[in-house]
Amino acid sequence: MTTPTLGGILRRGALAGVAAGVVASVVAFAVVEPVIARALAVEEARSAGTPAEEPLVGRAMQVAGGMVAAVAVAVCLALVLAVVFATVRHRLPARTDFGRAVLLAFLGFVSFSLVPALKYPANPPAVGDPDTVGARTAQYLSLIAAGVAIAWLAVLVRQVLVERGWSAPLAVTGGVLAGVAGYLALMLIWPGGTVEIPADVPARLIWDFRVASLAELTAMWATMGAVLGLLLTPRTGGPAARADGSTSATGL
Amino acid sequence: MPPTVSTGADVVAPIRVPLIAWLLAVVALGVVYLLLQENGLVTTGQIAAYLHEFTHDGRHALGVPCH
Repeated sequence: MTTPTLGGILRRGALAGVAAGVVASVVAFAVVEPVIARALAVEEARSAGTPAEEPLVGRAMQVAGGMVAAVAVAVCLALVLAVVFATVRHRLPARTDFGRAVLLAFLGFVSFSLVPALKYPANPPAVGDPDTVGARTAQYLSLIAAGVAIAWLAVLVRQVLVERGWSAPLAVTGGVLAGVAGYLALMLIWPGGTVEIPADVPARLIWDFRVASLAELTAMWATMGAVLGLLLTPRTGGPAARADGSTSATGL
Repeated sequence: MPPTVSTGADVVAPIRVPLIAWLLAVVALGVVYLLLQENGLVTTGQIAAYLHEFTHDGRHALGVPCH
């Protein structure tokens, strides 16, 4: 098994980030934007009769801005993923770099996106109180930090169990159980959301937006992990590579 | 098959990650913060307002708390 260099991992990470950003921005345009348009219609109906302010940024620019932001965020997160990958590669329980990259991206998705989305679900424009945004941001960011710590703990638990002579499947199961218990504890311990849904925003709109937002985040992380893993996979085909036996079809 | 190929055992050599790489990661996280979370802690005035409005759809779409 060859060890990739740090520079090689970072370059591949940047490429994976571009791919993840493009996929996420396509999902943003096709899936999220139609729901945002419905939310803006609610906002407009609310302010009907009052003279409209000249917006600082036009709607077309905001749609484009959302897509640019998705690409920029994906590239930055992929660079972080690459640095973390290089640091913890030898601790990740997978046999190939593809498996390790997908596993690490999955842990990133759960910590950075899934757990925050379940505890503090996404809301469309037309929902939210500007006075509480500081408190909500603090809750959200601290939950992410704690979620990363839980992911690290789960990997450590698996490693300790392996060192104690547990079989590989049992050790992985122990790590998964520790991680799930940790995330559940976070969900219970962290303060509840402070967002009131205004009466004029339909429940269906809120639900559609939360699903669409999670779809964009899922597409971003899945692409990031899979592309980083593919780019780290040596391009050796044919009988010689297969005879090596150290690679499997999925790496997981 | 060359004789140096490993047997596929679970021994993986650690990669040395210098501090500068972690600084890069911190800068990248800082950019994510600016794009998604910033509500006047770092930037102020016209720049803050423009940045906020330009990335507004992106913030909501990526599930970040917003006003």
